[in-house]
Amino acid sequence: MLGLLGSAGVVAALIGSVLLVIRGIGLARGGEGDLRRPAKLVLAGAVVSMAAMQIALLTDDFSLAYVANHHATTTPFPFDVATAWAALEGSIILWGLVLAVFTWVVARRPADRLGAAALAVMGGVGIFFFGLMLTVANPFEVCVDALTTGCAASSPWPFAAVDTPVEGPGPNPLLQNHFLMAVHPPVLYIGYVGLTVPFAYAIGALALGVPGPEWLRRSHRATLVAWSFLTLGILLGGWWAYEVLSWGGYWAWDPVENASLMPWLAATAFIHSGLVQQRRGMLQAWNFVLVISAFALTILGTFLTRSGTINSVHSFTQSAIGPALLGFLVLVLAGSFTLFAMRSHLVASSPRIETFVSREGTFLVNNLLLTIYAFIVLIGTTYPLLLEAFTGSQVGVGEPFFNRLAVPLSFMLLLTMGFGPVTPWRGAPAGLLWRRLRGPAIVALATGLVVALTVTRVAWVILAIVLGVWVAAAIVGLLIELAGKRSAKSGSSVYTEAKTVIRNDQPFWAGQVSHIGVALVAVGIAFAANLPLHAEVELAPGDSVEFAGYTLTYQAPFRREEPNRLVQGVRVQVGQGDRVLTTLEPRANFYDNEMGGIITPAVMSRPGGDLYLTMRDLDSETVLLGLDTSPMIWLLWLGGLVTAAGGFWSLAARRRERVLPEPRVMADV
Amino acid sequence: MSDRARNIVSITVIVVMAVVLFFLVSTRPATVDRVAEIGSRIKCPVCQGESIANSPSQMAEDMMDLVAERVSSGTSDEVIVDELLGSYSGAVLLDPPASGNTLALWIAPVAALVLGVIVILWWRRHPGQDVEEPPPPGRSRARLIIGGAVLVLVFAGIVVFAANSLQDRPAVAAGAADLGEEDLSDVSNETMEAVIAANEDDPQIVGMRLALAERYFEAGDYRSAFPHYLEVAEHPSATDPEAITALVRLGWMAFDGNGEVETAVRLIDQALAIDPGSQLALYVRARVLWCGSAETEQAIDAFEGLLAQPDLAPETRSQIESDLDAARAGESCP
Repeated sequence: MLGLLGSAGVVAALIGSVLLVIRGIGLARGGEGDLRRPAKLVLAGAVVSMAAMQIALLTDDFSLAYVANHHATTTPFPFDVATAWAALEGSIILWGLVLAVFTWVVARRPADRLGAAALAVMGGVGIFFFGLMLTVANPFEVCVDALTTGCAASSPWPFAAVDTPVEGPGPNPLLQNHFLMAVHPPVLYIGYVGLTVPFAYAIGALALGVPGPEWLRRSHRATLVAWSFLTLGILLGGWWAYEVLSWGGYWAWDPVENASLMPWLAATAFIHSGLVQQRRGMLQAWNFVLVISAFALTILGTFLTRSGTINSVHSFTQSAIGPALLGFLVLVLAGSFTLFAMRSHLVASSPRIETFVSREGTFLVNNLLLTIYAFIVLIGTTYPLLLEAFTGSQVGVGEPFFNRLAVPLSFMLLLTMGFGPVTPWRGAPAGLLWRRLRGPAIVALATGLVVALTVTRVAWVILAIVLGVWVAAAIVGLLIELAGKRSAKSGSSVYTEAKTVIRNDQPFWAGQVSHIGVALVAVGIAFAANLPLHAEVELAPGDSVEFAGYTLTYQAPFRREEPNRLVQGVRVQVGQGDRVLTTLEPRANFYDNEMGGIITPAVMSRPGGDLYLTMRDLDSETVLLGLDTSPMIWLLWLGGLVTAAGGFWSLAARRRERVLPEPRVMADV
Repeated sequence: MSDRARNIVSITVIVVMAVVLFFLVSTRPATVDRVAEIGSRIKCPVCQGESIANSPSQMAEDMMDLVAERVSSGTSDEVIVDELLGSYSGAVLLDPPASGNTLALWIAPVAALVLGVIVILWWRRHPGQDVEEPPPPGRSRARLIIGGAVLVLVFAGIVVFAANSLQDRPAVAAGAADLGEEDLSDVSNETMEAVIAANEDDPQIVGMRLALAERYFEAGDYRSAFPHYLEVAEHPSATDPEAITALVRLGWMAFDGNGEVETAVRLIDQALAIDPGSQLALYVRARVLWCGSAETEQAIDAFEGLLAQPDLAPETRSQIESDLDAARAGESCP
């Protein structure tokens, strides 16, 4: 029954998408028509299909093969809800739902020709994803051959003779081990799918032959929403890895992590280069290239994650969807760039850049660095796959390769981030830059000296701190300078004037908040990567060990039954001097559908950083404990949040601006 | 203070601080954690995409112990890396060298950077036409044809590629599907573990369990292989060849992993009780006897008995012959 309902929803969304394409093209060619209704149909269909899946999961309806193979009666809340996107077919429902919401939001504006063309493109993307749900990744297939647990064979035909299993194996243990796994995919998907909007506007603008900045203005908010969620999603992914994967790290240049980083890098470059076009009319062609690449990279990311082409902890499933996604990726690239080539005589025009010592000059450097960064991640991720596919020889590309190239690039980006915000558009006199930057340089070096004398002299850490402070000090210095000038004129306090300065150009200052967030991330990574301590100890109950200034006492092993798992671990008391700080429970979680236990770390967070305990081995007498520290790791989490917050704050500013009448926008068309 | 004086003071302060900082950083005694560094360069054979430094698996820990041992005895990095790559099949270098078939990886980013700089400089000198005089809109016929041709070519490429990849890699449904008969080459160990665990009572699962155990066995991960072989050996619905393979492998692991010759021989004899003519069992039994005990005579007899079998594969025969020659010459087993 629910299978029928879900399939009906998918069919409705597919019909809505087809209508969007047909009517969108008609409207874009100057015809008449309404696009809100098809957009509503897409949204309604997607909502119904997601609702059907959720009801099936919450009511343990094992007649659906997806539920039978990825859910169990014992799966607790919120993991039963999250199971809807814990495996391939379900995650496509989520993808479709997010796409439907973005489509509906775009369609809410009265559609002019550009808007109609963009909606037609979004409809096209919708046809592909809803089409997937009816063919190679059908989440609503019914089970026709039940196993003791799970389902051996299924049929896409909702009226097929159903053979309902009584129980399922439950979701992948790694995914039900931490609540972050319930949150991380939706957040990341909003980021991924959101990039469809600027892509759709770009293709629409190319098709109509209006390469002016209008498409950038119209998709600006969606780009910011996508970028902010992508930032947040990557952060949550790193945090999940840290809390669950028990090696004390948050980023391993795993292909699936890279899959989320590549669109982020491209989108970050796009946000900056889009500004150059809006302000100076430059980089028209480049913006098209970037936005097409960013969208293509999200499809590539989905392909890498979901096709099972690379086996990693994330690629928990394999299916025939690989060729479909790959085909769509090539269609997107070939189609977009063909259209781009056909319109190149329109987009190639751009005014001359007067000097590289200008805001647009720093943006050029920024774009060059970010693009090379994305390219390195792309080639490092795909090279082993391509080499193996074409020659059969196996090579590994891992952390050492990425770190060697990405670390210097990151530092160059930080250096540029100090220059960018204080450099005016159209060029700056050298004296102005020197006046604005000597202060930050002195503050940054002085901070570096203090840290080198008191904390550590590790080169990477010092470099990260000097450059991080340099970025922040340049921003604060600029704010003080601008507010000071106003205050000298008006007589009110610098603080009041600073608030006015920010209010007058909130998107700019929101961007600076993101810059400070990135600087925090850099410092956090430098500390956590360069100064961790590690030890392994074997302890009997009652034994104590000194580690990183803490006294760890192994109290006793414990064992407890939870609804969906058996938890076996040890209690370790953590003390400092005479004080008892806390008791940690490093453990292994045993799930029914996995033989070995999932080693789950216990973490104590303090201002200086984390203490990270893992249970390596437990027998009747002793426990083998892995002891790690992650110095200042909270800077990384905080920095990620601040970066995303900058994006969201910038959105708030745009909304206020929209109260103003918009004749200026229309005049440009 | 005049502007000039201020500038001089600022420059002096910046230069002095930078020099002092550089001095502080560069005079720090270098304490490189060689063990962790080498560990991060080697991919763990039984995991997916993790280095042995990051992986919690038993095999990775064993390998890290080996690295620590070699480092403390003063072996050079390259020698240690070569030893690991040589002795663990599936261990891959995660740090591609700038030579051979990974040279392109290192050249490409540099080439892209150079290209980017050239494009930017070129654009500076040759910007497009000014916006004031936009070219006439519309599409040129030549461009349309070229674009169409490219599109067709690319599509042909995709279809061929997709067809090939579909042929090589039959789709495996998520979770569980027709167990046993499917080509499992594409399925990850984790997936197999999950499917097996979810269908423990299903008699069809024995084949997949054996395949997984063989995979662990070939990677040298005896610890993971052991429970699966045991399960297959004891399973009532295992076919005879399956049970024989499991028993023989258990025997070999008992000998090779734990040095228990008697247990090994006993297990292999159980396999021979099922099928006295099993070549695998006879051969492994002979090797255990040769390598693990002083009973070289018995081993020679066993090898000779095997060679008397008419239906030996040529490679097996030559392998046995070379083993037999070595055993006769009184050499210890390789």
